[in-house]
Amino acid sequence: MKILALETSSKAVSCALWADGVCAAFSYQNSGLTHSRTLMPMISNMLGSAETPLDRVDVIACSRGPGSFTGLRIGVAAAKGMAWARDLPCAGVSTLEAMAAQSAAVPGIVAAVMDARRNQFYNALFDCSGTVPVRLCEDRAVGIDDLKKELIRMGKPVFLVGDGAELCYTMMKDVEISVTLAAEGHRWQTAWGVALCAAAMAQRGELTTAAALTPVYLRLPQAERERLEKLSAGQPGPDAQ
Amino acid sequence: MAIEPAYYRSLRTEMTEEIGERLGRCLRPGDVVALFGDVGAGKTAFIRGIARGMGISKPVTSPTYTIVNEYDGPVPLFHFDMYRLRSAQEVFDIGWEDYLGRGGVCAVEWSSNILPALENGYIRVDIKSGFEDPDMREITITY
Repeated sequence: MKILALETSSKAVSCALWADGVCAAFSYQNSGLTHSRTLMPMISNMLGSAETPLDRVDVIACSRGPGSFTGLRIGVAAAKGMAWARDLPCAGVSTLEAMAAQSAAVPGIVAAVMDARRNQFYNALFDCSGTVPVRLCEDRAVGIDDLKKELIRMGKPVFLVGDGAELCYTMMKDVEISVTLAAEGHRWQTAWGVALCAAAMAQRGELTTAAALTPVYLRLPQAERERLEKLSAGQPGPDAQ
Repeated sequence: MAIEPAYYRSLRTEMTEEIGERLGRCLRPGDVVALFGDVGAGKTAFIRGIARGMGISKPVTSPTYTIVNEYDGPVPLFHFDMYRLRSAQEVFDIGWEDYLGRGGVCAVEWSSNILPALENGYIRVDIKSGFEDPDMREITITY
């Protein structure tokens, strides 16, 4: 089986060709250009170089969110378009899970954290002690302090990935559990992580159609966002005494 | 330390532009300027001045129908007109949060429509009109 995977949730863009468990090709760029300019030539060049035309691809996978509003839409639209032509099955992969998938064989909890502005993170927790990440909770938007409390309560070593990892690490300097910040090369989501997750989804029969593929932005409802912002500004929320 | 608001009186459109230009010279990447004022108060004129102060040579036009115009410059300027938007969700759906992260200046007309979407720390420009002299404006800039 061949999976073409795209990753466009942040400023970097990448694509990968997964072929029966092997990383056949991988292309990555983080040069400040918009995905609307770079993505399709990158895919075209990668497939051409690997001498694997698009009509030999079996599954199209992309990161579905959370992440950049515009970036996700570009990736999802490109995936839909390519899959539609031949009615290919698709995998919409959580950006957070794609990050965790690149950290196999790590003890404790892998916490994927992305900056969601206003003192919030997009976050999910995984057990990556085996070869495949096991999800411990759904993707969610969570207040910074709430996440810290939850990780302390879980009491296990924490391994941080994502663009919010450094901020989270700084905030957790004084806690009793062991907290590790992933090295630069392991911290970011890439199309390879998307491909690994898509392969697992294919095995579990969780693929979808091009029509059903959709971004998942994960925003908190407005009332909750305002409550968290008031808390961080030192004002009581609406239900304070 | 709080910075005192700045008060200006403008007698014609060109003066409104000049006041905007002075502000434009002080703006830095990431700044959000939220404008409040009635129809015809001179919000677009003020932003025309901001653009000049930021070293942008492209013409500034009202984004009433486009919702956002992007102007290239040493620091890019993103010029919004929220007149047609009604909720924070609609603001998100135009990619507002992505713009905040692009390292440019966001100048927003009809900010009153989208107050919940504005994070703390924006620069507020109030342009008051309706005086006996119809060309006169009182402009307050609050940080």
